[in-house]
Amino acid sequence: MSVSKNRGISLQQSEKKTLRSFLLLYSFMVLIILFFSAFIYYNLQKELMLGKQNSRLKEYSDELISKIIYMHENFYDGIEYPRSKKYRSAIYDGSGKVIFSTLQNKSVDLNKNIYVIDNKIHFIRLLERYYLGAMYLVIEIDDNSGWFNFVKNKVLIYGVLLFLFLVFVGYFLLKMILKPMRDSIYLLDRFIKDTTHELNTPINSILINIETIKRENLDQKSLKKIERIDIASRTISNLYNDLTYMALNNKVVSNNENIELSKIIKERCEYFKIILSQKRISCSLDLKDGIYLHIDRKKLTRVIDNIISNAVKYNKKGGFIKVTLKDRYFEIEDSGKGMTKRELRDIFERYTRFDKSVGGFGIGLNIVAQIVKEYHLNIDVKSTPDLGTKVRISW
Amino acid sequence: MVKSIVFLLIFSHFLFGNDLEQSKAIYENDCMSCHKQLSFELKSVFFDYLLKYSSEDVVKTALIDYLKNPNKDTSVMSKNYIRRFGIKNRSNLNDIELKMAIDYYWEKYKVFGKIK
Repeated sequence: MSVSKNRGISLQQSEKKTLRSFLLLYSFMVLIILFFSAFIYYNLQKELMLGKQNSRLKEYSDELISKIIYMHENFYDGIEYPRSKKYRSAIYDGSGKVIFSTLQNKSVDLNKNIYVIDNKIHFIRLLERYYLGAMYLVIEIDDNSGWFNFVKNKVLIYGVLLFLFLVFVGYFLLKMILKPMRDSIYLLDRFIKDTTHELNTPINSILINIETIKRENLDQKSLKKIERIDIASRTISNLYNDLTYMALNNKVVSNNENIELSKIIKERCEYFKIILSQKRISCSLDLKDGIYLHIDRKKLTRVIDNIISNAVKYNKKGGFIKVTLKDRYFEIEDSGKGMTKRELRDIFERYTRFDKSVGGFGIGLNIVAQIVKEYHLNIDVKSTPDLGTKVRISW
Repeated sequence: MVKSIVFLLIFSHFLFGNDLEQSKAIYENDCMSCHKQLSFELKSVFFDYLLKYSSEDVVKTALIDYLKNPNKDTSVMSKNYIRRFGIKNRSNLNDIELKMAIDYYWEKYKVFGKIK
């Protein structure tokens, strides 16, 4: 069986997320390596350029020294300093004090031999004899940046090409590494979908048949048994709906319509009536009529069903559920076991279950969160351990 | 405020002006009195010191050391000159006077501010 085709939605999403995180980290590492290499290359090219300039600058300094020797031997007040169009120069005494300078960039590092500063190359020569008291002679020429532009363009072009190539390789490497895992997950995904699909017909059949049974003709014992079958079927039906939503949510086009909330809430409470009565949980409704939401009916049903289902599941026998609907929100409050602040943090995570003694996969509130996000609604959960939980959906 | 500044300016001029005059007098009386009879100028000796010691502080220290302890090894004069004329006598000036004379000598021949 080929499993690489027709992948599941949830698989694609998690795969994309992993791919994105990996590529981000991988690109970052590649960029660091490329920057480091570019830095080394830049410095090598700079050294090469300075090496080439070094001999020319030495010639200039020889020329200047002979003129300074002449000045030293024939010094008078107002003597003219030798200037050249090819370079600018300066002489410094042993304490680093400027004797005379025609430099454009006055910031000179006398401890170096040759360096680049603000598009100028400075060449420093330590004199053997201190004519005019000059211990250091500095020659300055313009750095036309030709080499720099050459290096910059080369680094940019090769850097971008290499980066793209490495990211491309990284992408296929990850795909290759993830393939066995993807295939296994796909098989599981497919199995869940098929199972879910196969559950639909028998559940509906059970529910329809239960509804057609005339309860007044049954004795008390049989009625109780039928009710138990009804509750069990509805629980499976609810689970079926959640699993279908999870498996197909992105493929199903939302069929949004104006829905009167009080009506649908009453309908869903009615649906849970038997389960509520079995646990002797009272359900009070405080619903304002005439409040509409533009939303997909099936999705809204998933939201209400999952919240009520949790309120029932984690409630105590003889507890209560209070459903309130006002202009800007509806709220479902229960007298259940509640949650700690730490537990509240994770309630919307998929497969989170705080009490494994009750049934479920831990996907209900994750589905609620997805739908609430899709319709830009707000969900607020307040809970006190041993007292109960309030879930409020506002808009 | 203005009065204090004017006073300070006048005072410093009087003080340093006097110093310069005094330094010049020491230089002229105690140095030039002998050197002007020699065949060379003190300017060339100054440039020999620059050639060997470079900066102001080092030149001045070397001059003071030499004048206090004339020595053929530390002299900037040529070997031929020393062989022919020997080395100079130890200076009779005290440390302060010697320093003042050297300061004047530096100011007179220094190259700073004289190159265009």
